[in-house]
Amino acid sequence: MSGTDIAFFLLALAAIAGGVTMLQLTNVVHMVIALVMTFLGIAGLYVLLSAEFVAVVQVLIYSGAITIIMLFAIMLTRHHTDERERQTTGGVWHKAVAALSVIAFGLAVYFGIRQLDFGADGSALAGDNARAIGKSLYSYYTIPFEIVSVILLVALIGAIVLAKKDGKGAEDE
Amino acid sequence: MTLSAYLALALILFCIGLYGALTKRNTVIVLICIELMLNAVNINFVAFAKYGAHPSVHGHVFALFAIAVAAAEAAVGLAALIAFYRSRKTVQVDEANSLKH
Amino acid sequence: MMNLAWVVPLFPLGSFILLLLFGRRWKQASAYVGIAATFLSLLLALAVLVDRLGGSTYEANWTWMTIGGVTLTVGISATALNVWMLVVVALVSWLVHVYSQGYMAGDERFSTFYAYLGLFTFAMLGLVLSPNLLQAYIFWELVGLGSFLLIGFYFYKEEAKAAAKKAFIMTRIGDVGFFIGMMLLFWQTHSFDYDDIFRAVGDGTLSPGMTTLAAILIFIGAIGKSGQFPLHTWLPDAMEGPTPVSALIHAATMVAAGVYLVAALFPLYEASHAAMMTVATIGGVTAIFAATIGLVQTDIKRVLAYSTVSQLGYMMLALGAGSYVAAIFHLTTHAFFKALLFLAAGSVIHAVRTQNIEEMGGLWRRLPWTAPLFLIGALSISGVPLFAGFFSKDEILAAAWTNGPRLLFWLAVAAALLTSFYMFRLFFLVFAGKARHHEDAHEAPASMVAPMLVLGVLSIASGYMQTPWFGSFLGEWLTDGAYRHEAAPGWIVVVATIVSFAGIFLAWLMYGAQKMPRDWLSARVPYVDELLRRHYYIDDIYRLTVVSLVSWISRLLAYVDRFLVEGLARLAAGIVGAAASAGSRGQNGQAQTYGAVTVAGLAILVVIFALTGGYWL
Repeated sequence: MSGTDIAFFLLALAAIAGGVTMLQLTNVVHMVIALVMTFLGIAGLYVLLSAEFVAVVQVLIYSGAITIIMLFAIMLTRHHTDERERQTTGGVWHKAVAALSVIAFGLAVYFGIRQLDFGADGSALAGDNARAIGKSLYSYYTIPFEIVSVILLVALIGAIVLAKKDGKGAEDE
Repeated sequence: MTLSAYLALALILFCIGLYGALTKRNTVIVLICIELMLNAVNINFVAFAKYGAHPSVHGHVFALFAIAVAAAEAAVGLAALIAFYRSRKTVQVDEANSLKH
Repeated sequence: MMNLAWVVPLFPLGSFILLLLFGRRWKQASAYVGIAATFLSLLLALAVLVDRLGGSTYEANWTWMTIGGVTLTVGISATALNVWMLVVVALVSWLVHVYSQGYMAGDERFSTFYAYLGLFTFAMLGLVLSPNLLQAYIFWELVGLGSFLLIGFYFYKEEAKAAAKKAFIMTRIGDVGFFIGMMLLFWQTHSFDYDDIFRAVGDGTLSPGMTTLAAILIFIGAIGKSGQFPLHTWLPDAMEGPTPVSALIHAATMVAAGVYLVAALFPLYEASHAAMMTVATIGGVTAIFAATIGLVQTDIKRVLAYSTVSQLGYMMLALGAGSYVAAIFHLTTHAFFKALLFLAAGSVIHAVRTQNIEEMGGLWRRLPWTAPLFLIGALSISGVPLFAGFFSKDEILAAAWTNGPRLLFWLAVAAALLTSFYMFRLFFLVFAGKARHHEDAHEAPASMVAPMLVLGVLSIASGYMQTPWFGSFLGEWLTDGAYRHEAAPGWIVVVATIVSFAGIFLAWLMYGAQKMPRDWLSARVPYVDELLRRHYYIDDIYRLTVVSLVSWISRLLAYVDRFLVEGLARLAAGIVGAAASAGSRGQNGQAQTYGAVTVAGLAILVVIFALTGGYWL
């Protein structure tokens, strides 16, 4: 077992543990913190997959920005934290259907992927891939890149419009 | 490490996210679970970029696009959450049930 | 003119349609439309007859539809029989139309009555022009419909309603036989045309067994329509209809349709001895059977109804004995004298407003036209020499003696005796004796007397078309010259005459001169009297067997329907309802429930793909 394997297992364990913890916790803030662990684990896995640039972006965007605005949203909306309140929706049937469906889906897909191997040794991407990404983005993917920027702009304006709603509501907050 | 290990990990995370999105009561957590599912997809992109039939940097680019879109989605989703909270004074998913019968 | 024969039925049809549309506005004037239409029919029919007298059969067919290799045609066929029937029907129908103007005057549904008469006349004329069985069957059913509507004309009377239904259902039983027989013939010969069927009979395409079967099945239809034993019970009940209707439909034309049908298919019957014997036996039994019941009836129209059944039995007997001509001859004379009797009876009823002969009497002076005309009819049906009925009955007796079994001949003679007895019992009870409180009885208007006069003349004159003395014009024409008079012994004429006079004398003894007590027979054999009064318990037997069985089965099926079928229906409705309420519970506004269901569906698809290998295998 090589060092890479050990690193993979540790990081995978961290990611899954974060997810499972998130499901089990009751406090919303704790849940978000638990997911930070998952996001960091995934970032580590990106490093293992020779995607250092994506790993850095993952840390910045997910562990940083998204988690932070989630926490902001929680703080903006929650007036009281009642630990005894139900954390899940629906009854037993709802949960049973959801769990059974997810498990069935997971098993079926697992049977599809467990033998999947294209025989690539993974050596092709070693080295300076941030430069390669940059070249690719600004040449081959120029138009999608521009479209994504437009999407972000639209999301920005949309978020402002939705959250602002009207002057009166905003003053109340 | 082989491709299937990464794919299996992504699958597990996706299933966790899916289950959480279907059962959690707090809208913020539901949104976060959806982010988790998107992350699982990103793992697949990056894993295929390295171990796929044609290893290349394109997988990374797609992962970046997905992250950008996910960020936009999170922003809009949270804005909608704030608007909803303002009108109903709650963030629980099961109380957003006006559109029934 | 024969190529215009198809127009003949269209006049009454036009009258029917016009009266349906405008009858309410025209009210009493509706009668003129009906009378004019049938008069035109009669004129055209007479023209066709004149044409046919010198010419030969005209037949025209048009393609109706082609199914596979079989072409169905409609058309007209102006055989001697058909043209003859055409004239008889048109004539009687016209006279009844004229008569009804007086009889039905003041009725609220006067125009409807004429509309129905038009429909019936159309159907009857269409029936006698049909060149094939299918067309005949269609008109046969239309005739039944007309009869149903007219019997139930006074539909507010319970008896009339019941009688209409009974007539429809009883004839329907026969019609099923007709239909099966027709289909058997079609199956074997691939054609409905009379000519094709006769050819198939002639060249042996139709096996003897099949011929017999089809002939008897079609004869069942004739039994139903012509009121033969054992399907006769509807005909006396049908007297609930207006009297002109009884005269037209239930004496002269429709009930003769059964005889006409057998006559039209005569070559088919001739090919099968068994079928001929069946026809003869049924006819003979019916003749005597109905005549005995007629002895004790007290309703004037029911006496005539049983007499009709009996006379139709005579015609069937003649057909069964192979004398086609005698049957048609008797059909014609019977149409005239029985229509006359019914119309006269209608005039009597019109005068005294009752149908019970026990309450009549002494009407000879009060009804100076009706009474002698009734007497002519009675003499004619009794077979008194020189009247029409004498010649035709003589023909039948001669045929029965030469070709039929001896027993049937003697049955026919006995029936003749009974016929003259009950007819004169009727005559003496109604017209002779002293008046029983009918001070206001008066003669009918001219529009009613005139048709009776015409029929009175015909009741005498129509006999001379076919006599042993002046030649057999009708027979030669009907059979295209192949007719030969039955070489019957001369004593038959004598016996027939003696028998008819004996019946009259007996009736005079009992009811005219009252030299003999009226309960002479019923006092000695009361059970016979009871038997006759209850019509041999035929109706009771039907009620106890067929009707109770059917109603028992119906009740059973009603329970099955109520509990099983309805239960299933409720179950289906309940399942749908439960599914709907379950579905609407599922529609709960919870986005996560929708998501869970969606994922469940996705999971099922993915699992199926995983198990079957997906699209690629």
